Amino acid sequence: MPEAEAIRLAQQGDAAAFERLYRLHNRRVYSLCLRMVGNTAEAEDLTQEAFLQLFRKIATFRGESAFSTWLHRLAVNVVLMKLRKKSGNESSLEELTEPDEDSGGPRRDFGGPDLRLSGSIDRVNLQRAVEQLPPGYKSVFVLHDVQGYEHNEIAEIMACSIGNSKSQLHKARMRLRELLHEALRAQAREDRKAASAETGGKD
Amino acid sequence: MATITCREFLSYLEPWMEGERPPHAQAHVRTCANCSAVVKDLEMIHAEARSWSASEQDAPERVWTSLRAQLEQEGLISEAIPASEGRAQAAPPRTGWFTGLFPRLPRPVLAGGYLAALVAVAFALSGPVNKRVNEARWLKGTQISTSPLSAQLNFAERNSNSYVSRSNPVVAASLHQNLAIVDNYIALCEKSVSEEPQNEVARDYLYEAYQQKADLLTQMTERGENVQ
Repeated sequence: MPEAEAIRLAQQGDAAAFERLYRLHNRRVYSLCLRMVGNTAEAEDLTQEAFLQLFRKIATFRGESAFSTWLHRLAVNVVLMKLRKKSGNESSLEELTEPDEDSGGPRRDFGGPDLRLSGSIDRVNLQRAVEQLPPGYKSVFVLHDVQGYEHNEIAEIMACSIGNSKSQLHKARMRLRELLHEALRAQAREDRKAASAETGGKD
Repeated sequence: MATITCREFLSYLEPWMEGERPPHAQAHVRTCANCSAVVKDLEMIHAEARSWSASEQDAPERVWTSLRAQLEQEGLISEAIPASEGRAQAAPPRTGWFTGLFPRLPRPVLAGGYLAALVAVAFALSGPVNKRVNEARWLKGTQISTSPLSAQLNFAERNSNSYVSRSNPVVAASLHQNLAIVDNYIALCEKSVSEEPQNEVARDYLYEAYQQKADLLTQMTERGENVQ
């Protein structure tokens, strides 16, 4: 059943059409939720909630935007609401990102060549860093860099401008770089401590 | 060609990552180790993140099962769940092969009591592993350890049945189907353990089966309480 047909039938309450739409899109929505919250149980709840909202509202879908964009907008909102509840306050997209220094640009501390991340970026440490991003940065980063959405699509999903999407993505990547550097430094400190404890033990 | 400073390059970094690379910015990156390192780091972050999409997986089947029950409860769809769909199909497991069989279960406080008992049993059995202990002793040990737990689960099942009878009939039917599946697996696991008492994997499956039953009973009780 093609997607357009499934949407039309789902708008009439056809159970098979609901399932078809779920099967078509659950992977991307679940992955988005999983990357955003970093926890499978929560991601499952959020996926269910996003689809529930979708099916409650499907009669109002008029096709002004792509169906997947509409669904992703719902999913991102569900996730952001959850994260807001967790942090205990209501905030706008801007507040969900970190206030940058005066220029709004990346920090001046570039790190020297000795602090190159080369070889130290892997799935685990990058995922850890992503989890520490503010929700607004995280959404744009996951949508663009992980899921491959273009800025114009992200702008629709996040209800922001294309420029804002680009800017959030850049800040997210720069913040990730900082977080990865911090993790490297922490690891280096731990290694030094361990080495010194070992040497001390032998003396 | 005009050269730019590192600070000036910063303002080119965002468009640079979008593919806009004016010649003077390129010249700077070629000659500046720090800025070149930043660019490489950002490119690596992007590449690593992009590779994640290859490993995306469907949501576990229990999400659809639970969603469908909710849609029916709200009257958004009206078809009854066919018997074969009430039970979730095998899905990529979250914590083990058994978990994928059931709708998403909360991890409520009530499960704590059951799980504490399970942990105690698992610890008692797996602690003094000694390959030379004969099979009869293993089997007896397993039976002694699991009998009270089995009785406790049976008692909890009777209570849960009285609760779940008050909830939505579709949900109740689905829960009962799941319970029947768990009971079948428990029977299978018990058979495997009795045939191979020293097989740790078989025992692990049995414990997990008990744990799933405890979770399911807890969920049934909660559903019943919620509709009160």
